[in-house]
Amino acid sequence: MVFSSIPFLYYFLPAVIFFYFISPKRLKNTVLLVFSLLFYAWGEPKFLVFMVISIIQGYIFGLLTEKFRSKKPLKTLFTALSCVISVGLLVYCKYADFFIKNFNALTGLSIPLLKIVLPIGISFYTFQILSYNIDVARGTVSAQKNPINLGAYVAMFPQLIAGPIVRYSDIAEQLENRTHSIEKVSLGARRFIIGLAKKVLIANRLGELISVFKASGDRSVIFVWLYAIAYSIHIYFDFSGYSDMAIGLGKIFGFDFPENFNYPFISKSATEFWRRWHMTLGSWFRDYVYIPMGGNRVSKPRWLFNILTVWLLTGFWHGADWNFIVWGLMFAVLLMAEKLWYLKYLEKAKIWPHLYKLLFVAISFVIFDGASLGAGLKTIGEMFGIGGLPLISAEAVYNLKNYAVVIILGLIGSTPLVKSAVLKIAENKVGERILNIAEPIALVLLLAICTGYLVDGSFNPFLYFRF
Amino acid sequence: MNKKAKNIVVALLCGLWIFGLSIWGIIQPDGETSVSERRKLAQMPKISGEALLSGSFMSSFETYSADQFPLRDGFRRLKSVGEYYIFRRKDSNGIYLKDGFASKLEYPLNEDSIETAAKRFDYIYETYLKDSGGKVYLSVIPDKNYFMAESGGYPSLDYGRAVELLKEKADFAEYIDIFPTLGLEDYYKTDTHWRQEKIVDAAKTLAEGMGTKLSARYVAIDSGTDFYGVYYGQSALPLSSESLYYLESDFLAGVSVYDYESDSTGGVYNLEKLEGSDPYEVFLNGPRSLMVLNNPNATTKKELIIFRDSFGSSIAPLLSEAYSKITLIDIRYLPSPNLKFFVDFDGADTLFLYSTLILNNAETLK
Repeated sequence: MVFSSIPFLYYFLPAVIFFYFISPKRLKNTVLLVFSLLFYAWGEPKFLVFMVISIIQGYIFGLLTEKFRSKKPLKTLFTALSCVISVGLLVYCKYADFFIKNFNALTGLSIPLLKIVLPIGISFYTFQILSYNIDVARGTVSAQKNPINLGAYVAMFPQLIAGPIVRYSDIAEQLENRTHSIEKVSLGARRFIIGLAKKVLIANRLGELISVFKASGDRSVIFVWLYAIAYSIHIYFDFSGYSDMAIGLGKIFGFDFPENFNYPFISKSATEFWRRWHMTLGSWFRDYVYIPMGGNRVSKPRWLFNILTVWLLTGFWHGADWNFIVWGLMFAVLLMAEKLWYLKYLEKAKIWPHLYKLLFVAISFVIFDGASLGAGLKTIGEMFGIGGLPLISAEAVYNLKNYAVVIILGLIGSTPLVKSAVLKIAENKVGERILNIAEPIALVLLLAICTGYLVDGSFNPFLYFRF
Repeated sequence: MNKKAKNIVVALLCGLWIFGLSIWGIIQPDGETSVSERRKLAQMPKISGEALLSGSFMSSFETYSADQFPLRDGFRRLKSVGEYYIFRRKDSNGIYLKDGFASKLEYPLNEDSIETAAKRFDYIYETYLKDSGGKVYLSVIPDKNYFMAESGGYPSLDYGRAVELLKEKADFAEYIDIFPTLGLEDYYKTDTHWRQEKIVDAAKTLAEGMGTKLSARYVAIDSGTDFYGVYYGQSALPLSSESLYYLESDFLAGVSVYDYESDSTGGVYNLEKLEGSDPYEVFLNGPRSLMVLNNPNATTKKELIIFRDSFGSSIAPLLSEAYSKITLIDIRYLPSPNLKFFVDFDGADTLFLYSTLILNNAETLK
């Protein structure tokens, strides 16, 4: 089930809110767990078993790890076993065919593919369980004694299928004790509706443009650039919109989920971009891969190797194909080059670092979106006139006009301009009063317009489902 | 309003909205059809273990919940208005407006489709017409986009290329050009079709091209129906209704129409259809696979066979002035290999009369 759908908004959400708030405190996590399993089963009933296995093993090995924390070999064994099962399930479901395909290509064999459909959200909940078991082993958190609470943490529907990657340590306390208030519900609803609008009104509209581009027989250099820009905005609004909805829902149920995006397109470097984009994934790799490998407190070659490894894994996490690996490695090269040579110049200068970063982000997302590595590279070539495309075509002009306002709104929304303007207006009392009246009206209006789009059954894919 | 009050108002309004529409949706009886969209609405899917496990229940429920949503038409309209007036989109669901006329984008030219149509016509020619002794004609009806798209900055078919390609591939037929007889005002504002009262010149041109002549005088009768065409529902925009006229003439009163599907005979207009979901069906009962128009008072004893789409329904009655018998065949519903069971082609002239909308999507021609 996706948040931006009628069944979620007008059937599932009212039901879960109703039962959650009428339940006594001791049953609230049970209600969340039951509805979360229902939410997951709605899309992929048969894959519920993978998630339940992951939760059970995480729970058991968490307890064992804590019990034998003083006995290092046993602690290591139980943590390793938990990690192997979690990663094993992920590799089996997500990467098996990739490895078989490449093994066949290398050896000339024809081992049949497993053709496993990827369970929704497995990349996200696997990372959550890994962080839990590793943190228990490190002693930074206590093992959860109540399986319902651990189940509610892993399966919690707001962040289950697309993050943010909430670490157990982020909400361990809130699982036991959290407060609910009108203010939290209000803030949560506001965040949810803003996320919904980002997804439905901007991301989905640009998704249409991307589909039009891919189906077009009238490509031109300008049209390819339009696609690259539209895709960059689309993926940002799609993913950050979903994160906003997740954070907002969490707030309604009394949780404070970590932020996942912080206006990444205003960055001046790839280094800064990744401090602002999918922040919970970046910090996960930093804390569970990069720093354990030694981080930057090692020799220069080893440091570069650490960066390369992290970005290879980051790319691979996003998808089992070479274009995702190259996408990750491209950022590894950029980050290494910046850190070694020119990051300080990027940080000092004003305009060109933004253009530099936007160019590479657009190029990277073209690789990311490619049907294959070859297709992605071909499209990048077309952006720069390789491929014999005309400079402009009638379809490019039409679509430029057709989507101009959506793109402009997307560009403005990618910056803190709106937030700054609202804060500025709220600085004086009259402005604040106007905002207090306008906000509820604007939110209900946005909800109504989004409902209109969903009722009309318009374009509504969700990108991060495939992760 | 202070911050605390604002929070209460936001929580209350959002709660009322979500819970209100949810309860409304659950208690309101399910609708059968959408009049504006001219289609049946999805009904509650049946629950079974298999449907749940396969996920088919869930996907059907998504369609059902959107189809049966309270105030569905209002919400669709809100979306369309948002598309046009907030996002300044040039089209909504592929439908665009220009000078008060709505049309659906139709581009690019699908040359394979034109060739498919030509091959189908060629099959009919080789199988039924070659040795029938009659003449074979071909004419193309431009859709509204021909008059609206390019001049409005919308992508457009290459109409010239479409016609040339069809003429080249169907060179057994003599082409009759009716493009110059038509203009945008000759079409309904909210529908794909042309207005019968505006196509007398097109009918005369076709008749002259086929060696006959039309000279009847007509009176345009206002049907009194508030006509909302197919684009009204599809676009969900607040478009106005328009009048639907049909032409009356002395000779038309004597024309009888035999419908093979219902095995019944009637007149050229079925006024009951004016109350239905598509009032354009007033002309020859709407989509029918095979019909015969008999005019005992025709100015010639000639017979004509028309292979046609829905545009043919409104022009065929006008052509019947000059033909004692017109057979109308729609090969979207009656596969051409089966024609031998129903139609006698001997001595009759044949006209292939198709709109560019069908020619560019000719996979429906059987």
